[in-house]
Amino acid sequence: MTEVDEVRRIETDAAPTRFARGWHCLGLAKDFRDGKPHQVKAFGQELVVFAGEDGKLNVLDAFCRHMGGNLSQGTIKGNEIACPFHDWRWGGDGRCKAIPYARRVPLRARTASWPTLEQDQLLFVWNDPQGNPPPADVTIPVIEGATRDDWTDWVWYTTVIEGAQCREIVDNVVDMAHFFYVHYSFPTYFKNVFEGHTAHQFQNGVGREDTRPQATVSGAPKMLGNTSVAAYHGPSFMIDDLTYHYDDGDVDSVLINCHYPVSENSFVLQYGIIVQKAAHLADPEAMARKMGDYIKIGFEQDVTIWKSKARIDNPLLCEEDGPVYQLRRWYEQFYVDVEDVTDEMTERFEFEIDTTRPNEAWRAEVKANIAAREAATASS
Amino acid sequence: MSARPAPRPDVRLDDGGMEPVTCGSCAARVEVRKSSWDQTSIQWHADALGACLERRASQQGTGPNGAAFVGCSALHLAIREAAVRGELPVQSGEPLPVNPEGNAP
Ligand code: FES
Ligand SMILES: [Fe+2]
Repeated sequence: MTEVDEVRRIETDAAPTRFARGWHCLGLAKDFRDGKPHQVKAFGQELVVFAGEDGKLNVLDAFCRHMGGNLSQGTIKGNEIACPFHDWRWGGDGRCKAIPYARRVPLRARTASWPTLEQDQLLFVWNDPQGNPPPADVTIPVIEGATRDDWTDWVWYTTVIEGAQCREIVDNVVDMAHFFYVHYSFPTYFKNVFEGHTAHQFQNGVGREDTRPQATVSGAPKMLGNTSVAAYHGPSFMIDDLTYHYDDGDVDSVLINCHYPVSENSFVLQYGIIVQKAAHLADPEAMARKMGDYIKIGFEQDVTIWKSKARIDNPLLCEEDGPVYQLRRWYEQFYVDVEDVTDEMTERFEFEIDTTRPNEAWRAEVKANIAAREAATASS
Repeated sequence: MSARPAPRPDVRLDDGGMEPVTCGSCAARVEVRKSSWDQTSIQWHADALGACLERRASQQGTGPNGAAFVGCSALHLAIREAAVRGELPVQSGEPLPVNPEGNAP
């Protein structure tokens, strides 16, 4: 048997046993400000998120160092979280501030606390298996629209994905063809750039007349195409600067696609969108909801794929696929100790896909779909 | 630390590897692979990035991802010229397309 005739085997390496180093978004900050502590399962642990009277959001290990009470079942008292079991008071810095029935707090009364960042109405938590604080140059860029009156508020979605490791969602950033087959978009330009802790995706696309029925409703603006600059800033937080071009004007939006790991085989996927209140938009908030719901359908289709697919470490790629291997090399930097991060993982790498052949095939498929739809309409 | 399996090289490199190309405007030397006339992979290293003139001149763009440097046009040109001269292989083996859709190639 010659080598090319051999059956190709899928290779699966062990999934990482630790969780990525970096900033992870836990969701909208305001959702944690209802006066109650919140339980969050993340990084293989149980966390408690609470806002003290001072308004600062804090993240601690959920289990009280006294007798193991669950602080997320406790009560916020002043700037501290009070344990439901014996009322020990824990501050956002992880230190026990008071024990109402004790003469003094014992030594070593310190629990794990996670560095937090509140920015653009979102709450971030820093995870580092080595326990180092976030370096000053590892940041999330500011999203101006998120705090401006001429943009909508976040339309935000949260969903728990069981039975998939979060590398599956990160792979999407290089996977041009799946945008056509899974998300019904039509990429015409696609380029990735990895550098340092960012992974960019530059993507332009055209509207698909076979999947956008609203375009045929008379009077509805027709979607001509989209321009997108998306980037992962660290292992889990992607900002997509996304403009849809309609025949009556552009719609500028910022889409967030982020996640945090719950366990080695589950994660919480979150996404959100804000839209600029352009003059030609009658109801920008409704537009943001409509776009968000469309994106939701797309993610649900991704999830169906992830849950049933194999984890594959030796994907067989054609030349029209994106840089999956180089993306994973980049992604690896978040799973090794910081002193083991190599130049290979972080040095700039560019990959521009030739869309000529994919676009020929997709134009033909769109045409065939429209013809089939018209034939079905004519015969009904 | 726990030993992690090293990330695998791109399977497509089996059909042809990355080749060095030097920029015509600066001394940046990068590794390049072209699977077709319109596909390009570029591996940069720190010294090349430090040498790149367009990179140094690039301004912060607009939007939350405005810090991105999309690429160097001088290097892009040098890569194209190397491919046209036959010094850089184009894996598809197709001849240089001439105004495929009435656009400049
Ligand atoms: S277990 Fe928390 S106060 Fe006792
Ligand atoms: Fe996807």
